[in-house]
Amino acid sequence: MSLLLDVQDLTVRFALPRAGLFAPRHYLEAVRQVSFQLEAGKALGIVGESGSGKTTTAMAAIRLTESSSGKVLFEGQDLLTLTDEQMRQRRRDVQLIFQDPYSSLNPRARVADIVREPMDLMDIGTMAERQARVVELFKLVGLRPDQLNLFPHQFSGGQRQRISIARALTTNPRLLVCDEPVSALDVAIQAQILNLLARLKSELGLSYLFISHDLGVVRHVCDDVAVMYLGKIVEKAPKKALFDAPQHPYTQALLSAAPSLARRKSRGYVRPLKISGDPPSPINPPKGCAFADRCPKAQEVCRLTQPALQAVGDTDVACHFPG
Amino acid sequence: MSEQDILNAGAESPALEAWRMFRRNIPALFGVVMLTVIVAATLYGTFFYSGDPFEIVWAPHEVPGATPEFPLGTDYLGRNIVAGMLTGGGPTLAVGAAAAAITMVIGIALGALAGYYGGWVDNLLMRITEFFQVLPALLFAMVLVTLLDPTLTTIAFAIGVVSWPQTARLTRAEFLKIKELEYVTAARAIGARNKRIIWRVILPNAMPPLIVSATLTIGVAILFEAGLSFLGLGDPNTMSWGLMIGANRDYILDAWWPVTFPGVAIFCTVFAVSLIGDGLNDAFNPKLRER
Amino acid sequence: MSALLQINDLRVTFRTRYGEVTALDSVSLHVNAGETLGVVGESGCGKSITALSVMGLIPQPPGKIAGGEILLNGEDLTKVSEARMRGLRGSEVAMIFQEPMTSLNPVFTVGDQIAEAIMLHQKVSADQAMKDAIALLDRVGIPSPDRRARDFPHQLSGGMRQRVMIAMAVSCRPKVLIADEPTTALDVTVQAQIFDLLNEIQRDFGAAIVLITHDMGAISEMADRVAVMYAGRVIEDASADDVLDMPLHPYARGLINCIPNLGRDDDSLAEIPGVVPPLHLLGAGCAFADRCAHKAPRCAVEKPLLINHGHHPAACHAVEEGRL
Repeated sequence: MSLLLDVQDLTVRFALPRAGLFAPRHYLEAVRQVSFQLEAGKALGIVGESGSGKTTTAMAAIRLTESSSGKVLFEGQDLLTLTDEQMRQRRRDVQLIFQDPYSSLNPRARVADIVREPMDLMDIGTMAERQARVVELFKLVGLRPDQLNLFPHQFSGGQRQRISIARALTTNPRLLVCDEPVSALDVAIQAQILNLLARLKSELGLSYLFISHDLGVVRHVCDDVAVMYLGKIVEKAPKKALFDAPQHPYTQALLSAAPSLARRKSRGYVRPLKISGDPPSPINPPKGCAFADRCPKAQEVCRLTQPALQAVGDTDVACHFPG
Repeated sequence: MSEQDILNAGAESPALEAWRMFRRNIPALFGVVMLTVIVAATLYGTFFYSGDPFEIVWAPHEVPGATPEFPLGTDYLGRNIVAGMLTGGGPTLAVGAAAAAITMVIGIALGALAGYYGGWVDNLLMRITEFFQVLPALLFAMVLVTLLDPTLTTIAFAIGVVSWPQTARLTRAEFLKIKELEYVTAARAIGARNKRIIWRVILPNAMPPLIVSATLTIGVAILFEAGLSFLGLGDPNTMSWGLMIGANRDYILDAWWPVTFPGVAIFCTVFAVSLIGDGLNDAFNPKLRER
Repeated sequence: MSALLQINDLRVTFRTRYGEVTALDSVSLHVNAGETLGVVGESGCGKSITALSVMGLIPQPPGKIAGGEILLNGEDLTKVSEARMRGLRGSEVAMIFQEPMTSLNPVFTVGDQIAEAIMLHQKVSADQAMKDAIALLDRVGIPSPDRRARDFPHQLSGGMRQRVMIAMAVSCRPKVLIADEPTTALDVTVQAQIFDLLNEIQRDFGAAIVLITHDMGAISEMADRVAVMYAGRVIEDASADDVLDMPLHPYARGLINCIPNLGRDDDSLAEIPGVVPPLHLLGAGCAFADRCAHKAPRCAVEKPLLINHGHHPAACHAVEEGRL
């Protein structure tokens, strides 16, 4: 297995607006020294709640958000040190699918043009070849060629997501970043898109960086899973290890909170692990473990020192008291 | 019925859809008819009423209707008002359109750059915009026209220079809103350069309010030109409605018609343009489409 | 014994640019005291319209209650005066919305808003109402409630705001609490907190809860009974266990099987092909027929009725004919 993406100590800081003209500038660290690896042909899920920095991590990894430090080695080449023009050329290898199928397609362009645009920009092939490729992509994602000249608003949410996927596949990318690709869709449509993504992964040998808040979806699509909390990865493991034996209390809480058909009110189900409160503010992160305030296992040491990622079996976990 | 047939029911391109809305708007259509009549009259009217509008052809202050040759009467020098109305319309409309075009070009260019790049670019451009905004527009335009010699070109230029800040602000606001949308990130993700994103992705989507604003700017520019002419700063060698009002204003108490007819013409033009602008605004507003 | 809330053959129409469309078509539901009814379906299936009808909040026009009855304790809500409805709203039947930010007034403190809701229905002094409001905030699990009562909605997190909404909804001990996608805007850990809170509230206050959701997992954890809705009709109505373990209607089966399950690895998810047809294009037959693998000629011409064909009620010809 070859390493496709190797992210090392990626950090993203956003400058907050100053309180006054001469007030000191404050920063928000949305992503704090995040490292992960993705092998070719695999899917890595990044799971977390809003504000966990999961989307920012993915966007920074493909340089759509500026990062302040770290390395992103894509096939051994650090994307963060490329010039703008070099990065522009590299974009054919890293593509992106968005959450909202309504705002991710230019409403004033016909869908054939939307799907063809990456080839126009990269100057790939002749016009006739590009048109043929668009038709091929349309069939690949389950759309009909007679829909080529329509506008985005003439499609349903699920179909728009297919168009978005077709556009992302146009340049034969190796890495596809999927940012909550099904969370805006109705459940029945979700299944259609998830099956399509699974099929494309095996047929085209794609690798996914899959961002989601939905553990069920991640379990369905991904090979490995990283759980983020307040800008840091708190647990990273192969799918089976993570779902069968979660090590971090936050992962356990997430699993216990996610609704499941197996838990029935009629059978007197009561949630075993209850956590209270909300995540702390990323503007002023706590000194110790970010989860300490909500953690049932927290001790004095948790509030004082940040736990580092350490290996427990197949799992990497950042917790003083894992398991 | 297939899925696509269901979704296609009544759907078409955004521009066509806007036109369909516009077509149903009676006041806006009335505006179009009115403007067409005015433009046609200024373009072809001289076929029927040839002759120099500056030429003194009759006794001064002939009452409208008194002499069949001069249905709208004559002005204080005895010039034919009908001839003035018909030949003066062209320059008035031309100045209005040219000034609106200049306004839009400057406003959109600066607003787009400020909104898209943000940061110091935005700061610099917005301070410049504010500088122009705090100057009293009419006074500033008067200064420019005086400095540059009043010709139609300089007047259009002066009006454009004083009225672009609003357009720049509107463009900037639209850009700030649209650049956060995912299709803009999508364009970056497929390797589009900034130039393409600004002009080919964001601007077309920002156009609806800008088109409305451009339409209304034409009306404002026509009033502006009239205002300058009224103050005696118009181009004295080209007949325009504003010039007619400006030249005759001293005698308004003796003879109402030399001022009133061009005034009504300006009013009708601006009114028609406003109706069209309103209609476009409604047509581009997707929220009204469901009705 | 008759149910606390009983909806019989409710029909609601809306005037649109496509003419009059039927948003709800012979919808019958009931919920007993102390019970949770889950109403599940995709967007546009009519589940929110059902909730708004019970609250008397259907905008009229363009909406119209064209038939049927909504009986709350035997009183038909479709026939009561607006004044009576205002009196019932909040005190007898209350509602929690999806987006707590937009359902709270941004210019008043949350304490004021709860106190106002209390004073609308109870003759108490302003001081007492504020004390009650703080007690309610404490009851819904908001830490340091006396300080939080002086906060404005934007100063609270999404989960806190939803707790405030719940406090406001239960301030007058309503008999029926309608929760319309109460956790869709929230993170899963916060969603779990809100679900647990709703269950506690139900135990303490004995209220009947109507939980409207698109999430079968939420139904499983929260509901005693389930009504599955599709295109403005109830297509299956039974106990949660019956629907989840033995769904009859092909749509209900699809909804349950298309969820990626936390508890198992599955290679491929069941799909429901196509999309929900827009209401104005519904024909004479079953609205699900075009997406259904068990479609028969009869399905295109005759609407199936919600009848018990053996196990539990389902509106499907294939179930009736034993083809399923």
